[in-house]
Amino acid sequence: MTPAAKRSAILLLEDGSVFTGIACGASGEVRGELCFNTSLVGYLEVLSDPSYAGQIITMTYPQIGNYGVARADLQRDRLALRGLVLRAICETPSNFRSDLSLPDFLVEQDVVAISEVDTRRLTRHIRDHGAMSAIISTTDSDLDSLLQKVRATPDITGINLVREVSVAEPILYAPDDRAWDFLLKPAPPSRYHVVAYDCGAKRSILRNLHRAGCRVSVVPWDTPATEVLAYKPDGVFFSNGPGDPEPVHQTAQAARELFGKLPLFGICLGHQMIALGAGGRTEKLKFGHHGGNQPVMNLRTHKVEITAQNHGFGALFASLGELIPAESDGVREHVADGDLREWVQRGTAPVVNNRRVGRIQLTHVNLNDGTCEGLAFLDQPVFSVQYHPEASPGPTDSHYLFTAFTRLMDGRADFLDIDVSADRLAEWR
Amino acid sequence: MPKRSDIKRILVIGSGPIVIGQACEFDYSGAQACKVLMADGFEVILVNSNPATIMTDPQMATRTYVEPITLASLTRIIKREHPDALLPTLGGQTGLNCAVDLARSGVLDAWGVEMIGCDLEVIERGEDRRLFAEAMAEIGLECARSGYAYTVADAEQLARELGFPLVVRPSYTLGGAGGGIAYTMAELREITAQGLDLSPAGEILIEESVLGWKEFEMEVMRDRKGNGIIVCSIENLDPMGVHTGDSITVAPALTLSDSEYQRMRVASLAILEKIGVETGGSNVQFAVNPVNGRMIVIEMNPRVSRSSALASKATGFPIAKFAAKLAVGYTLDEMLNDITGATPACFEPSIDYVVVKVPRFAFEKFKGTDTTLTTRMKAVGEVMAIGRTFEEAFAKALRSLENGRAGLGADGRDDFDEQRFKQLVSLPTEHRVFYMAEALRRSWSVADIAEATGIDPWFIHRMAHMVAVEQSLYSLSLADLDTDTLREAKRTGISDAQIAWLCSAEETEVRALRKELGVLPVFKMVDTCAAEFASETNYYYKTYDEQDEVRPCDRPKVMILGAGPNRIGQGIEFDYCCVHASYALAAQGYETIMVNCNPETVSTDYDTSDRLYFEPLTFEDVMDIVDVEQPMGVVVTLGGQTPLKLAWALEDAGVPIMGTKPEAIDLAEDRERFAHLLDEMGIAYPAAGTAESLEEAQEVAETLGFPLLVRPSYVLGGRGMVIAYNNRYLEQYMQEATKISPDHPVYLDHFLESAIEVDVDALCDGEDVYIGGLLEHIEEAGIHSGDSSCCTPPFTLSEAVDRQIRDYTCRLARAIGVRGLVNIQYAVKEATVYVIEVNPRASRTVPFTSKATGVPLAKCAARIMAGQRIAALGLPPDDRILDHFAAKEAVMPFGRFPGSDTLLGPEMKSTGEVMGIGRSFPIAYAKAELSIDYSLPTEGTAFISVADKDKRAFVSVANHLHHLGFSLISTSGTARVLEAEGIPVRRVHKVSEARPNIADEIANGGVSLMVNTPLGQETRSDGFHLRTAAVRHGICYATTLAGANAMARAIEVAQRDQTGSDELAPIALQDLEQWDG
Repeated sequence: MTPAAKRSAILLLEDGSVFTGIACGASGEVRGELCFNTSLVGYLEVLSDPSYAGQIITMTYPQIGNYGVARADLQRDRLALRGLVLRAICETPSNFRSDLSLPDFLVEQDVVAISEVDTRRLTRHIRDHGAMSAIISTTDSDLDSLLQKVRATPDITGINLVREVSVAEPILYAPDDRAWDFLLKPAPPSRYHVVAYDCGAKRSILRNLHRAGCRVSVVPWDTPATEVLAYKPDGVFFSNGPGDPEPVHQTAQAARELFGKLPLFGICLGHQMIALGAGGRTEKLKFGHHGGNQPVMNLRTHKVEITAQNHGFGALFASLGELIPAESDGVREHVADGDLREWVQRGTAPVVNNRRVGRIQLTHVNLNDGTCEGLAFLDQPVFSVQYHPEASPGPTDSHYLFTAFTRLMDGRADFLDIDVSADRLAEWR
Repeated sequence: MPKRSDIKRILVIGSGPIVIGQACEFDYSGAQACKVLMADGFEVILVNSNPATIMTDPQMATRTYVEPITLASLTRIIKREHPDALLPTLGGQTGLNCAVDLARSGVLDAWGVEMIGCDLEVIERGEDRRLFAEAMAEIGLECARSGYAYTVADAEQLARELGFPLVVRPSYTLGGAGGGIAYTMAELREITAQGLDLSPAGEILIEESVLGWKEFEMEVMRDRKGNGIIVCSIENLDPMGVHTGDSITVAPALTLSDSEYQRMRVASLAILEKIGVETGGSNVQFAVNPVNGRMIVIEMNPRVSRSSALASKATGFPIAKFAAKLAVGYTLDEMLNDITGATPACFEPSIDYVVVKVPRFAFEKFKGTDTTLTTRMKAVGEVMAIGRTFEEAFAKALRSLENGRAGLGADGRDDFDEQRFKQLVSLPTEHRVFYMAEALRRSWSVADIAEATGIDPWFIHRMAHMVAVEQSLYSLSLADLDTDTLREAKRTGISDAQIAWLCSAEETEVRALRKELGVLPVFKMVDTCAAEFASETNYYYKTYDEQDEVRPCDRPKVMILGAGPNRIGQGIEFDYCCVHASYALAAQGYETIMVNCNPETVSTDYDTSDRLYFEPLTFEDVMDIVDVEQPMGVVVTLGGQTPLKLAWALEDAGVPIMGTKPEAIDLAEDRERFAHLLDEMGIAYPAAGTAESLEEAQEVAETLGFPLLVRPSYVLGGRGMVIAYNNRYLEQYMQEATKISPDHPVYLDHFLESAIEVDVDALCDGEDVYIGGLLEHIEEAGIHSGDSSCCTPPFTLSEAVDRQIRDYTCRLARAIGVRGLVNIQYAVKEATVYVIEVNPRASRTVPFTSKATGVPLAKCAARIMAGQRIAALGLPPDDRILDHFAAKEAVMPFGRFPGSDTLLGPEMKSTGEVMGIGRSFPIAYAKAELSIDYSLPTEGTAFISVADKDKRAFVSVANHLHHLGFSLISTSGTARVLEAEGIPVRRVHKVSEARPNIADEIANGGVSLMVNTPLGQETRSDGFHLRTAAVRHGICYATTLAGANAMARAIEVAQRDQTGSDELAPIALQDLEQWDG
């Protein structure tokens, strides 16, 4: 880009911090909660992930757009993020699958984006001060005016962002196998029928369900349980989605009504829906987990999975019930500070007694901060993870969970006991 | 799982001398391993023949053996030390091969030594290409179609099946030695023949070519619980066809989309699982077809490698350290990430910068060799640079190379071969990127260049960006530069020196302008996590962004400038000195700051110094760090020429230089001033003159007489140095010499033929002098001190000469004003001691001298520089008599450069060195020889062909060999002399005579030892062919009389040892007296 063609842009945070840069997408002004994602690759999957509704994403990797945009990688056709912050953007990508460059794509999708920002300074700021509201503007350079606008931005806590991204009507997932022929083995025939609650589901989750042998009916987030039961599915899936889970009452209520009736599997927000359905609570994390290198200990196998994550809220294990000492290494009290790495040290997957669903086991723990990453009901066919086994972007260590869901639908008690190593190359060509 | 309690003593094998394909990265990894194992309470028994390594410092292990890395030597050490376990994965291919020998021969079983971290089957599955390909097929991964050949005929048959071009890879060779790409049947035959010779298994793999495919590497770690992580992905800028060690590489991979990357990731983990790597770090290489994404597995190394050193430096994740801990039982989830000090080690580093590695070559040293880059590694070193964009990192890497370049061209040093321009854009050579940049300036399109080079257009677009920014400055003047323009240039990595050239200004003016306009850099941290977590480690790189992260510190700070990339003449020895200085100064309470750009080294380990700056060693980059850190002193005399040449500029900029001042350095390096000093002191030196033209040179020659030692001023490793025996040669030299160093004249010294050379390493605190050691060279004067073998203490010097050398050393060190180390080279001829040169800085021999005497000279030097007196260092008397001898022998890379002569001369060509310690000189020398060649010929046929001037003196050596039981063969001239002396000899034809001749005898394996001394300035003579044949066939050879003599005495020792004298018994450094600096 020649200097003359450059349009300046400003990123202003609610605490008054200013970052200047160059507009690298659509013109305009956007507000949202600022977060950062540490994935080295997979920018397209990140920015098309509906879970980013209401958020401005900072990519910590400084050179973004290198392999362009392959539309097959999009997680959703309509982008839900509010804005994008980059250190440098690539206008001349190179990859045999690239359909267009990232800057062109951002303009096409009307995404306001700013580049040439010291994204590391920004990341350190969010790390130290927590997620906060921010505004990107390519049209207004008056800092006072911008500050007023950013301070008027509503906090995303308490807001139901799911309704913005969910499908309006039920649809049947249409597989896109051909786009993946170069990489993946042919999908097996469908043996199961799964209803997927769409709270903003990533396409790769639906693809993974399909590739695990499921025909997938996608339904809106607020579909009543009775309607889902009318599909007579083999199982029900609760998808990822944006923002605060607490206001997403209808989905959590549906989960609660479906407990014990069908095998259930939840990912990310879906995991939180299951926790809320069981009467648990969730919390807002300081700056969330957004990236592809989060280590998670599987407390049942004692192996670590490197996981993809994207969430700003998390379910609180202690809120699900009292520990059952006999199944929790003799421990009676939950750890005071909620740091679940205690269980990693003990090598135990603790179990609580939940008044709605019976026993719930903590299956996965985040090794960086000790938050809850996975739950399994022991008296009902339900399990969920906070992280993303579909990856996209990120490591695919946890792909086995899709297989686990089919085993759960087969009624196997050992549905979760799958060796990560054995599953590694399962679907790759 | 915590550490194993059933093992206590662990044997660690190093990688031996620095050779092409195996450099100081294994000192880095080995040192890390030793450190962590010792800290964990294990007893470490270390074997490494390379004295210039940190790992062989006596404090690094319980028992340290600077001994040959051979089956015989290791067996002796195992018998003596009874280790419980052997950790074979940290000593490169050499260590791994030796471990395989120990396992196969049953030594490990016999002595109850368990191989940890890896086992024999894993090594075999990883290294044997057939087993590997089978394993890959079993897990559904593709390898290139291929087959094995054991004869040239096999190869021809495979070629008919697979089609050309074909890649030829000999089994079990280092850095792809003996491999190549064949486009025709004739080339295939040639490469096959060579490869079969070089492969210890006599086996080569012939493979479908994936030339032009994209090449990637994954650095993987795995623990015994089955946790696996990818530490780093690496993408090669050069497509398949150039050895990864010779390729420009980038981390992380930049042109793979997520799904492509994740497939490679799971494949890497699955490969480790399939091959059975239980614990440790491995490296997996892939090729990807850019047209359709088809991925094939190239190879896998079940050990720590050059790439893992790079990956460790690139991410801050210490692979070798963790590999060692995993091998003794820990698991990844039990260990903490050192850098953050808070998160677990079981994660995949996320970085927020781009890392570029650029290899360093030394083709100028090897005239006549092909400089095209192929599948056989030729680089002698590498640099790494970190930036926020590829452009910035690449530009920094290019100016780190220490080859006079200030970036991607546009520095006044561009010099293009117009006739071959087009060809040189496409041909992979070390210069290709400069041709590509120039092609962009000449308006070639990115697509055209991509087509010509096979390089991914992404990289070419980035280069186009660099060139566009650079060109936007061209023909502007400094006054035209505004803040935005300058800032954009700096953000693109353009150096001040380039801006100065582009805008016809001085670099200092550019710097001043930058400061005036506020275009200043910041330093950011390498923290493994892209700032997601706070980090404890002060590991920094420079960029042009907003926020600086350098932490303040109250302690007095000293800055040590490192040695830059390994190259011939400047290797690991200087890194050793810098690391020692850092240790010593830290122990004295200083905050130490290391600046270096070589990813292979210990100095660039983040825990060697308090602060690490991974930056080029240029004036601009060093000053930027000085501005931020404000050190109380900067050490420039321990990192060889690289920091030394910055000394004046730094001092002029007001930077306090520690130790010997630039003024003193200048006094020693300025020939006239120095000669004047020697005259005043009444010390002899060879008559000398300087010349700026051929006419002047001829005048000097007339006054001094031939032979003359001719060299350009300010050179490294004797670059461009020759001995001229006549006027014709002098003429030729002067014509070529102008290219070498245009700013400086040529020096001509009278050459002292047949003199004995002596090196002295000494310390001086301004008043007192401490003689570190006298090293007597084996070869006579005229062979570069870096290439000649030597021995300390001296074994033929008279007491008077010894005394005189010590006296001269003391007086010179004082007179010059040395504060720290000084190295003086003397020539002794007919009892007269001449001073050849004085280098008031650490020399290449400092580590050797320190290990030989037990006095850590570099540490002492650092303390002197910090103001301490020698008397306060607690050193033993410097004239004490040692009861052992230490021999140093140089390791030559000729096998890598077919077509170049193997003769030794005043220009240094060796890549590394080994050390042998024994009760006598022949024992020490035999061990040194064994460390290089792994075996000494103790019987068979010796071929002898010597120059006329050597014939008389050679008789005694021939006689010695005859009495040792060798049958002698010679060509007519030498044979006549031996016959006259009554020594039995068989005559053979010369190469130029009828067949069968000596070349045939060599090819048929009939010669086990060769002595061939050169006849003055011959070029492509018989001797040349014989010497290169000896290299090709791995025959033990000597090209000097003194070398042959020492060799014969070593062989005698080896013979006696074979019959039970036990003279070659290993000696641990801990059994010799050691002093702690």
